[in-house]
Amino acid sequence: MAEGPNFQQRFLLSGHRQAVSSLKFSPDGSLLASAGADKLIKLWDGLTGEFRQTLQGHTEGISDIAWASDGEYLASASDDKTIKIWSMEERAEVKTLIGHTNFVFCVNYNQNSNLLVSGGFDETVRIWDIARGKPLKVLPAHSDPVTAVAFSHDGTLVVSCAMDGLMQALFSVINVFLSRIWDAESGQCLKTLVDDDNPICSHVKFSPNSVFVLASTQDSTIRLWNYQSSKCVKTYTGHSNRTYCIPACFVTSKGKYVVSGSEDNKIYIWDLQSRKIMQVLEGHRDVVLALATHPSRAIIASAGMEKDLTIRLWFDE
Amino acid sequence: MNESLINPFFSISHPTTIQTSLFAGASLAKFDPFGRFVAAARPTGAVEIWDLETRAPIRSFEGHVRGITSIDWSRNSRYILSSSKDWNVVVWDLSTTSDPPQRYASIRFDNPVVSACFHPKNSRILAVVLSTGEAYVCDLRKNHRSRVELIETLLDEHAGNANGEGPTEDGGEDEETQVIRSPMKIARFDPSGRNIFAGTASGNILVFNVRTKIMVARHRIAGAGSIKGLDFAKSGRRLVTNSTDRTLRQFTLPTYKSPSAQYSPPSVPSSPSVLIQPSVPPFPFLDTDLEPTHRLSDPINKYSWNAVTLSPSGEYLAGGAADQANLKVYVWDLESDGRLGGVLEGGREVGVDVNWHPTKSTLLAVTKSGNILIWHSPHPERWGAFAGGFEEVDENVEYEEREDEFDIEDEAVLHARKMKTEEEEVDIDTFVSTGASRGGADVLSSGANPANKNSRSVTGTGSATPIGIPNSQPTEADTMDVDIEVQVATAIDTKLGGRQAGIEIPGPAGYNEGEAIADVDLAWALEEPDDDIQGSWRMKVVMESEDVGAYY
Repeated sequence: MAEGPNFQQRFLLSGHRQAVSSLKFSPDGSLLASAGADKLIKLWDGLTGEFRQTLQGHTEGISDIAWASDGEYLASASDDKTIKIWSMEERAEVKTLIGHTNFVFCVNYNQNSNLLVSGGFDETVRIWDIARGKPLKVLPAHSDPVTAVAFSHDGTLVVSCAMDGLMQALFSVINVFLSRIWDAESGQCLKTLVDDDNPICSHVKFSPNSVFVLASTQDSTIRLWNYQSSKCVKTYTGHSNRTYCIPACFVTSKGKYVVSGSEDNKIYIWDLQSRKIMQVLEGHRDVVLALATHPSRAIIASAGMEKDLTIRLWFDE
Repeated sequence: MNESLINPFFSISHPTTIQTSLFAGASLAKFDPFGRFVAAARPTGAVEIWDLETRAPIRSFEGHVRGITSIDWSRNSRYILSSSKDWNVVVWDLSTTSDPPQRYASIRFDNPVVSACFHPKNSRILAVVLSTGEAYVCDLRKNHRSRVELIETLLDEHAGNANGEGPTEDGGEDEETQVIRSPMKIARFDPSGRNIFAGTASGNILVFNVRTKIMVARHRIAGAGSIKGLDFAKSGRRLVTNSTDRTLRQFTLPTYKSPSAQYSPPSVPSSPSVLIQPSVPPFPFLDTDLEPTHRLSDPINKYSWNAVTLSPSGEYLAGGAADQANLKVYVWDLESDGRLGGVLEGGREVGVDVNWHPTKSTLLAVTKSGNILIWHSPHPERWGAFAGGFEEVDENVEYEEREDEFDIEDEAVLHARKMKTEEEEVDIDTFVSTGASRGGADVLSSGANPANKNSRSVTGTGSATPIGIPNSQPTEADTMDVDIEVQVATAIDTKLGGRQAGIEIPGPAGYNEGEAIADVDLAWALEEPDDDIQGSWRMKVVMESEDVGAYY
């Protein structure tokens, strides 16, 4: 780890006709799924970027996708107010979860893959029993659209964050909210994290060991929180994020980094500990809205908005 | 990992409130070792697995034509065993993706089976009790495949030094002694897997060494009548009994010597060669009266108890009262000298079974009509959690202004200070720290806690013999097996907060000459380990068909 990361663009995948909103590698890293405003989910080979399949079914744009931990199912959250579950074996839709009363914006599985958590513009966080396709719990979580939800690795906690009303395009957000931590079993709110100046929180995820949460806020800052002590332990800055919900990811396969897209069309990579910018990836021609890191290898997948429409795979090997 | 947020002071409580009720049609129910599932056995012979997260049945399988008498989970929940009045014991493999899951084994006996359970370290070894009062150890491993009856060593034999233990003798004397031997009602492995405890109709607890099947101890329990049930705390040193005298007793167990090679194991019934048996005296087993540390009963209603279960740490004891009109579960606090902690009432139903959750302060009771009621100890909603940076206090605190609280500071200085506080390294992918803030085990373990910590440090150092017996010198093969054990134990330790950790620790202190041999017992159990390893399989989510699910 003497030298920093050296990611180079290796593949450029095109196929989506509207902005790509979400990218996720399958848990074994063999597939990359992408989804976007064109209502489609596309599957690509996780290593070669080869196109595999298009999954079609939603009637409105898709905001988020999530893999079950065994890689057998994929969930997608759409503006048609539904979540669809896709079987990788059949490569087809197997279930539609109906319940949200407005756009569904974010979705995630728990480790056992028997529960799904989703959040949306109806300001609720919902926990679903996937096998039955029924909602188990509706948490009146926030008073604003929920922008991100995730389970801790042991499935006992849910973290959510939200913003406020007014959206301009599919992904644009304006206003506040904070990250909340929920008890997955009882649905009780256990903790609310908020920084001094109350910035808009657009994405949140647990660290791999679920001791910290990584929160992106629209003051162009990413913070790593210790949610037990409610302390911000790391701050990453330098990128530009004022308008969109841009996710940040951990790179843990080769060195420990935090990576995020940016509204200046670049991708920033920080060293986890020193918080210094280690590398800036340039190439996209629009805001880098979707980003994913490979579970086992040093690969970053990124995608841009309307003016770009390409998915790029960056390798550091 | 939510526990430290829900309950920052780790206050200890027993279950108090009904959390949920599952309409399972069950006659017996048991939590899996991780507390994720409940296995519910039906009187028809079917078993259903319920997912506690979704509170819905996820698997159902029928392997019996008559009522199920007992169910048990293997240590990492992969296998489940059902025993039935139809003379069969069936082992199911839940790692199969199909619903119903596949059978791993079916074992047929000559009489109805009243109870069966897995060895705690290897699910290929089972203890089975038949309605005729015979107890067997069934070994399904290729190189050990056997079915050995556990036979009580009788005292007169012992004194009169006939030629050894029951099974080594042939017909004549066996028949003669059978008259005296009291039928066994129940048999359980202790949590270490070294010994089997069997309760007899005459109120004795017989302890057999699992490897050699030799009786190592007999405890008479004065006035107990017939033993109906046994349960262990996870530390393995506490035993509770349920007996026909309507009294529950808790015992602190002594340590048992393990028979050395000198005492050859009784010959397998299928090979009737008695000739090779030398005139070895029978194993000098421990023959004592065991005084209970607690004697628990209901002096007013004089209930008999249909089931008894200990909390994981052995701190609480729950007994299901055999009341014919109301469901009542008595919970005693053993830490405060057996005080009655509370009576959980479940309405106008008749209870038939109780079982304590493996990690949390949660217990279930099964009613005669088949419902499974689950009690938990609820946490009050903390509304302060909704406000960021807001802290709830128990009493008023006078606020003291910091010296520099309203000082105007340079932005740059502030920033520099903030940067400095962020210098500290963070660890984002080691799961150990989550183990430290582990869930329910903490809440309930007081006695077992120091032992947990102890074992954590032992396993953490990765030394070659972390089982905790420093001067044992296992053979190379043994070491390998022991290592496997350590990995498994560590894995479980991380996940469950050392629920097995206490097992190894208390043992060695008391072992003297039996010390190295005790290790042999474990090594023996770990030969041909089963494939029930945490993380090696997962319960597949079986989707219910769309027409039932989506459009309601």
